Amino acid sequence: MVAHFKRGQKARLSDLTLGTDLYVGVQISGPGLVFDISCFGLDAAEQLSDDRYFIFYNQPKSPEESLQQLGAQAGDTESFRITLDRVPESIHRLTFTATIDGDGTMAQVAPGCLRIVAGGDEVVRYAFDGSEFSTERAVMLGDFYRKDGWRFAAVGQGFDGGLAALLTHFGGEVEDDEPPATAPPAAPAGQPPAFAVPGAAGAGAQAPPAPGQGGGFSPPPFGGPPGSPPQAQPVGAGTPAAFGGPPGGVAGQPPAAPPFGGQPGAAPQVPGQPVPPGGGFPVPPGPQHAGAGGPAAFVGQPGAGIGQPPPAPPAPPFGGHPGQPGGGFPAPPGAAQPPPPASPFGGYAPPPGAGAGGYVAPPGAGAPAGQFAPAGGAAPGALTGVLDAFRGVSDGRRWSQQNPQLIRVDLTHGGGQPVLARQGSMVMYHGDVDFGYKSQGLMGRMTRWATGEGMPSLMRCTGNGQVYLAEEAVRLHPVELQGDAIVVASQHVLAFDESLEPEVRRIDGHGIPGGSLFALQFQGHGTVVITTHGEPLVLPVTPMTFADANAIVAWSAGAQVLVANQVRLRRHAYPGHSGETTQLQFRGAPGNFAIVQPYEI
Amino acid sequence: MDQRMIAGYAPAAPTARMGNHGPTIARVAMQSGNDLFARTGSMIAYEGFIQYESNPAAFGQAIAGRLSGESVPLMKCFGDGLLYLADYGANVVCLPLDNDNLSVNATNVLAFDAHLEWGVQRVRGIAKFAGQGLFNIGISGTGWVAVTSRGMPVVVDCGQAGETFVDPDALVAWSTGLEVSGKRSFKASSLLGRGSGEAYQLAFSGQGFVVVQPSEDSTERLGQ
Repeated sequence: MVAHFKRGQKARLSDLTLGTDLYVGVQISGPGLVFDISCFGLDAAEQLSDDRYFIFYNQPKSPEESLQQLGAQAGDTESFRITLDRVPESIHRLTFTATIDGDGTMAQVAPGCLRIVAGGDEVVRYAFDGSEFSTERAVMLGDFYRKDGWRFAAVGQGFDGGLAALLTHFGGEVEDDEPPATAPPAAPAGQPPAFAVPGAAGAGAQAPPAPGQGGGFSPPPFGGPPGSPPQAQPVGAGTPAAFGGPPGGVAGQPPAAPPFGGQPGAAPQVPGQPVPPGGGFPVPPGPQHAGAGGPAAFVGQPGAGIGQPPPAPPAPPFGGHPGQPGGGFPAPPGAAQPPPPASPFGGYAPPPGAGAGGYVAPPGAGAPAGQFAPAGGAAPGALTGVLDAFRGVSDGRRWSQQNPQLIRVDLTHGGGQPVLARQGSMVMYHGDVDFGYKSQGLMGRMTRWATGEGMPSLMRCTGNGQVYLAEEAVRLHPVELQGDAIVVASQHVLAFDESLEPEVRRIDGHGIPGGSLFALQFQGHGTVVITTHGEPLVLPVTPMTFADANAIVAWSAGAQVLVANQVRLRRHAYPGHSGETTQLQFRGAPGNFAIVQPYEI
Repeated sequence: MDQRMIAGYAPAAPTARMGNHGPTIARVAMQSGNDLFARTGSMIAYEGFIQYESNPAAFGQAIAGRLSGESVPLMKCFGDGLLYLADYGANVVCLPLDNDNLSVNATNVLAFDAHLEWGVQRVRGIAKFAGQGLFNIGISGTGWVAVTSRGMPVVVDCGQAGETFVDPDALVAWSTGLEVSGKRSFKASSLLGRGSGEAYQLAFSGQGFVVVQPSEDSTERLGQ
C-alpha cells in the first residue's frame, strides 16, 4: 500500500489514495540541527501571492483551515493536515520545505522522510538523507500540485539560502522581501537585538537560537519583523484598518503582509518608533491558540517583573507604544522554540545550553525582592494565558483530539450516532448525554467470551453533547476507517462509533498470556480510538515480521497472524532465558502493517 | 564525554517565581521572605540554601481540624535558591494568579506561595458519594500555584450553555466562580453491577474554567 517515492518521482494523487483529507508528516533530523518545516501555498505562477497560505510555526493554518500545521507527533518532526478539496482554487501548488534554523547544512541530515497518510494508512513515503545534499540550508521536499486533479511530486531539491531566501524565491518580486530586509535598521533604533534577527538578509533567518536572541527569533520571528512594517504601514499607505481587522490567523503572519502587499518603502519609517515585538503577535494564532498564546503570556511575566508592561495577549498595543526600549520580549530561553501547536508545553525547550549545567544563580537572589514578589509574579490575564495553552480545540469534527491523551467526541455530529466507549473512560461531558450499559447482541457475546481481561465492558454514550474520553493518561490515536478494516487488541480499544460493527477475533496459542489474545476487527466507516502506552511503532508487514503478544496493539485486517513458538530446550536449562518465547508472526501482502507499543502489558 | 545530553537538560535561568523544567518538573526561585508551601516529599533537588519545615502545627491544625481523617501533607519551604519539585512524573502546570480564585483538588496541589490565602474546602454534594472523599484546597490572591496532572491537562470553559459534568477522579482544578453540585447519574442498573461505570459526576455551571486530567487516577503518590 505504501508507495515509496524516489527523488523526482511524480504521481497522480488519486492513484495513491481517494482520500482528500491527508496527513503529511516530515521526519527530518540531524545532530545539533533545528529545522523549520513549512508549507507554501503557491499560485499558478508558483508565487506566494497570498501570504496567508504560507503555513509555518507562526501561522499554523490557512484562513479556511484547509492547511494546518499540527506539530511534532507520531514520530514526525512536523506534521500537517491538508484537506485538498477545501484548498481554494487560487492555490495551485503546495510545497513542503525544511530549513535549518541555525548553523549547519543539509549534508548533515540524518535519513528522514516525507510521508502522506490518508485514512490512517500511509500511502506515500519519500525517504531522503544527507548524501543527496551538500551545503544547502533548505530543501524543498515535496509538492502537491494541480494538473488534472492533484498530483504529488517528491522534489528533494536543496536550496542554498534559508527560509528567507526561500520566501524570496517564492515571493518573486524583489521588493517582496525588502521590508523584512530593511527591517534591521529598526534594531539599532533601540529594539532588542533579537528582533532584528529574522529580518537580516538571506541567511539571517536562520539565526542560531542562542539564549540571548533565540527567543526573539523563534516565537516572534515573523511576528516580529511584521511588527515594524505594519507599524509603518499606516504612514505609508494609510491603511491602518488592514491591520486592525485581522483576527487570530492574520496576527501571526503580519510579517508577510507588508512584504507581499507590495508596499515598499514602508519600512524606513520604522526606526523612529520601534515597536515592542510583543505587539507582533497579540492574537495567538493556531488551532490550539494555546500553543502560541500560552508561552507568549508566560513570557510576558518576566517582563512584568523587570518593570515593563507585559505584552499580554489581550492587550495588543498596536499603534501606540512608540518606544518601549527595554528589549520588549524578555524571551526566556524556555521560549526559544517555536511553540509547536501540538504541544501545549511549547513554552518549554531544553534550555539551549544555558549555563551548561552551571549553577545559574536565580536572578531573584541578588535582585530586589520585588522581582519575584507576588505582584511581579502575575501579570493581569497571565493565568488565562497559561491556561490557554491547555485549552482544547473545537474544530467542529466529530472526533477531535484535545491533546495526546484526551479525545473529545461530539455526539451532535455524525447524525446522532451513539458511541461505544470503555466503561469509566469518560472524564467530562457537556450537554445532555446518557451513559448506558451496552449489553445486547454482539457485545454481550464478546464479554461472555472474554471473561476478565478480554474485552472491557463498554458503555453506550447517546444524546446531544460532547464527551471527553481518556484513560490513565495513555496516548490516544483516533483511526478513521473509510471502508477499510483494522484489528485492534481488545484492551487497546477505547471507543468507537457504533456504526463500526466489531467482530471478535480470537488468537489462541500456547504461551499467550491468558491463553488467548482477543482482538476486535473493525470495518466500515467511522472512527475507532486506539490506546497505546507511549509512542507506537507501525511496522510494515514483511515476510518476517514478528511482534510480542504483550506489546501488540493493532494490525491491518489483511495481515494474517500466526503464533510462533520458539521452543528451545535451553529455556529449561537455566533460569535466565530471554523470556521471549511466544511471538506473533504477521504475514500478508505488502501494505499491511502491525502496530506495537513500547510497553509490554 | 558527549556533553549534548547534559547540556540539553541543563537548567535554564529562571525568569519568574515558578516555571517548568520539562513538562514534569516545577522550578521555584526561592527568596527569603517569600515562603512556599509544597507537598511533603515533592522536593527532588534544590540549589542554594533552602530549609524545610514539615507540617508545622499551625497549619496542620487548620487543615486536619476541618476534616476528620483527611489532611493535606504540606511542608513550608524557605530560604534562597532554586527548588525543584515533582510528583512521580505527573505533568506540572505553574499558574500565576492575579487576584484569581482557584479551587484545586488536594491531590493535585504541588506547591503555592505562602502568602496566598488558602483553606481546605469540602466539595459539596460529592464527598459522601465518592469513596475517597473529595476535598479541595481553595487558593486566592496574587501569586503562583503549581498544580499536577496525570497526563496533559485540558482546560474547558464553562461559559457555554448548559452544565459541564466532570468525573471527580479526573478533576484537577476549577475557578471558584463556578457553581458546583454533585450529580448521581446511576440508575437501577448500576446497582446491579452493570452500570456505565460513570456513577458520580460534578456539575459545573456559570462563568469560569475547569481543568481536567486525562486519567482517572487520583491516587496519592507522595508520602503522607
